[in-house]
Amino acid sequence: MQRAVNSLGVVFFPAFDWAISATHPERQERLLYTMDQLKEEGVFDIPGIREYKPDVADMDDIRRVHFCFPDTASNLTNSHLISAGGTIKSGQLVMEQEEDKAFALVRPPGHHAMKVVHGGRGFCNVNMEAVMVENLRQHYGLGRVAIVDTDCHHGDGTQDIYWHDPETLYISIHQDGRTLFPGSGFPGELGGPKALGKTVNIPLPPTTSDEGVLYAIENAVLPILEDFKPELVINSAGQDNHFSDPLTNMNVSAQGYARLNELLNPNIAVLEGGYSIQGALPYVNLGIVLAMAGLDYTCVREPDYDPEAIRQERRITEYIKKISQAALDGYFSPPTAHMSREKQGDFFIRSKEVFYDTSFITERQREYLLDCPHCPGLLRAETSSSKTKNCLGLEIPRLGCEHCQAEGERIFEQEKSRGKFTNIQFINRVDGTCRRHVIGP
Amino acid sequence: MILGIDVGGTHTDAVLLNKDGLLASAKVITDHQDLLSSVRAALAEVVRGYDTAKVKRFNLSTTLCTNAIVQGDLEEVGVLVSAGPGIDPGLFGIGTCYAVIPGGLDHRGTEIKPLDLDQARSKIVEFKERGVRIFSVIGKFSPRNPKHENQLAELLENTCDFLTLGHTLSGQLNFPRRVATSYYNSAIWPIFNDFANSVADSLNDFGLQPPHVNILKADGGTMTFAQARQTPVESIFSGPSASVMGIMAICPIESDAVLLDMGGTTTDVAVFADGDPLIEAESVELAHRPTLVRAMKTKSIPLGGDSAVYASQGTVSVGPRRMGPCMAQGGDVPTLVDALNCAKQYFYGQTQASDRGMQILGQELGWSPDQVSWEVIHEFCRVLKQETLDMLNEINERPVYTVHEFLEYRQIVPQRIYLMGGPAQVMAPFISQAFGLPVVVPDNYAVANALGAALARPTMQAELFADTEKRIMTIPVLGVSERVGNRYSLDQARTDVVNHLCAYLTNHLDWKVPQFEVEIVEESAMNMVKDVYQVGQDIRVKCQIRPGISPDYQNAVRCLCKEQ
Repeated sequence: MQRAVNSLGVVFFPAFDWAISATHPERQERLLYTMDQLKEEGVFDIPGIREYKPDVADMDDIRRVHFCFPDTASNLTNSHLISAGGTIKSGQLVMEQEEDKAFALVRPPGHHAMKVVHGGRGFCNVNMEAVMVENLRQHYGLGRVAIVDTDCHHGDGTQDIYWHDPETLYISIHQDGRTLFPGSGFPGELGGPKALGKTVNIPLPPTTSDEGVLYAIENAVLPILEDFKPELVINSAGQDNHFSDPLTNMNVSAQGYARLNELLNPNIAVLEGGYSIQGALPYVNLGIVLAMAGLDYTCVREPDYDPEAIRQERRITEYIKKISQAALDGYFSPPTAHMSREKQGDFFIRSKEVFYDTSFITERQREYLLDCPHCPGLLRAETSSSKTKNCLGLEIPRLGCEHCQAEGERIFEQEKSRGKFTNIQFINRVDGTCRRHVIGP
Repeated sequence: MILGIDVGGTHTDAVLLNKDGLLASAKVITDHQDLLSSVRAALAEVVRGYDTAKVKRFNLSTTLCTNAIVQGDLEEVGVLVSAGPGIDPGLFGIGTCYAVIPGGLDHRGTEIKPLDLDQARSKIVEFKERGVRIFSVIGKFSPRNPKHENQLAELLENTCDFLTLGHTLSGQLNFPRRVATSYYNSAIWPIFNDFANSVADSLNDFGLQPPHVNILKADGGTMTFAQARQTPVESIFSGPSASVMGIMAICPIESDAVLLDMGGTTTDVAVFADGDPLIEAESVELAHRPTLVRAMKTKSIPLGGDSAVYASQGTVSVGPRRMGPCMAQGGDVPTLVDALNCAKQYFYGQTQASDRGMQILGQELGWSPDQVSWEVIHEFCRVLKQETLDMLNEINERPVYTVHEFLEYRQIVPQRIYLMGGPAQVMAPFISQAFGLPVVVPDNYAVANALGAALARPTMQAELFADTEKRIMTIPVLGVSERVGNRYSLDQARTDVVNHLCAYLTNHLDWKVPQFEVEIVEESAMNMVKDVYQVGQDIRVKCQIRPGISPDYQNAVRCLCKEQ
């Protein structure tokens, strides 16, 4: 009998009674065969690997992270709270040193959920990784964190949430946004003015194989991590780069995913997407579990695995070399020329339109970040959606200074009496409170 | 009349009873070198003066197979496995004749690589040349599709003395456990089969010809001798289940409760939820190998009447070492029993020796003998409580897989403690105080294990699995495999598994069980989707017959079981 080299806690919550709709990729069956494979392999009998029950996340855990409109509860189901709770549990296992590593094998996923939430997009309502990280920061004083998102889709939600946070490094490796939802994640997206370079995007061309993904990990991600020196590395572990995934066009195998986790050596992995539920997930999840536990995974091969059939073309290899170099340049020496153009008065401004493809909602948003010399700055998000109009989100960041705190309180009071916004959510991360002001019915 | 025998670690107990109550009981010392002689001695004593022709049922609980495994008294088994992708099957090797035959199925039971029959044949020849006469064949995902196991069985047909097919033992998915369980099932078969023959002969010698001869399983149920000869591994660890069934025979348990069975070296804890004993979710370990044998959820705490008590860091400690016997029985080291003696709660053996022991311990700590005795008693209860709470926490932490389960999952909160074993009567008030719960010490607890063995009834568990895309339905443990239509539903699956289980019990156990006794414990039906079209359903139903007391004998030995 083998024994895990790294002790590993697996928080497994397949939500066998939750689906977006009957034949939607995000449906009950999604982790069924993964569960069968893990059980049949006897994974939870391996000394050092333990299965845990998820916790249920608190509304406060969600309110700390998202501006939810019209309110927090209506954007959620119990399933989201348990999936988020399972992710938090995996974080606690590591922070409490109960386990060396943890894998939150939970659904529904979350990496397309942005700072402002009006509904579901890309199968996501709340951001599991962010909810966990902010919970751990609140309760354990966790500081620098790196989130490495290896889902095939750009994690635009996680990127948006941490756009202005210099303490959170977000790296996404994904299929090029010109060819796949959500159509973002280009090398020029480097983070906000106060966190420039702390967002890194490595878009890979369709048909990229194990070789290309592992090249980017070794030659771009690892050097950046080494420089950033995070206290915690989180793998946002989507599994849809797999050669059999029905929604994407990549050629990564279970061996590639296992090796990726061996190289990246994350403290925590959180399941994201991955919809080849029979041909990929059982093997990829098994590979990740074994790799995280430091065990041999060489026999974990899909029945239809043929390395020759998915070998990467040379021109793709060359392209990935260039894109990896671009990622390094973006992190180590990000350009700053554009910053002044985005500024009005004391505020940096960002405008965006967001489409919630899962809930069919459109949103217009204008975001203002106070250019504060002492802290990452007060954040103000004015947002209107086809569902809820005239909403305002205000946030004093975790490392907010006294001036930004006072300014936040002042604006909150002012906007309450002004009445332009009918729904205001005010997050104060310094004192850990969240207030909401609603006008009308 | 019913005859029950429990071959325990120390004593072999026998009881004879009818529907009106206990007629006779016997207790002899267990001879571990010759279990049969212990059975015969207990038999002789308990049936003396009774008309043995009237005994309709004989139930036996024995440590035979457990001991054989612990002592490594096993016959060599030829183990052939078929695996497929995943963890290297070489890592699950057991015994000295283990071979991985190329071939494999996936998680839906689809053959992804045919079995290499030539290699299987040559391995069989090789093992037979090495003198192997019993075999086990195990396939990964065989509960989904037993094809490879059946192919291997065909190659072995009529050429080996005994053969275990992995999928017949359990429908649960766990390949390494299936390998270990199948191995042990074959490895203990020769010893069990000989023992079963000898017991049958012995019954004859005493003029006993009961139509029903059963053996107790680890999950508190019984199986017939005929069944047990096929699955002897199910008879391991029946000791704790005998005591749990014993308390159920004696006391009407209705709430969440805890059973503490205090022995000399250990106290065994079992847990009841709404009066039903909890079964181990993942089954038991044998020689550090987890298996698929279902067993009562019990925990053995290294704390008993003979646990040594000593001074440590300015206070008293109890256990986990056993240094017995107690000083009252001529031992050298004071134990809990000595503390009870000295505190004038118990009057066992040489009480002066106990006082002396407590005095010496007291001097070490600067306390009076009386004070030190009470500290020992309270420390014992404190540790017992902590260990019990740890066990309950672990149970309440068990994984769940649906939102419904997560939100509805009931925590087990004991309302009452049942206490058995040597100093039970004396310890009851202290345990009650420590746990803050009422304590019941049942009558007849001295022969509770034999009563439990005598009055247990069959248990059975069956998992149905249907794949309407492949149009198959299987119930591995019942050997059922049928074609079904593409509209086969969860409702039909529920009906099918109950009907098949009842038919099996009637045909193989001569036990007509009413359908309402079969309880569905898990069920799911999930759409299987290819692209965006539903192509079928994955349907699973798991049902069981819970451990319980024979309905005819519900009131045979039941007492008031008043709280103390």
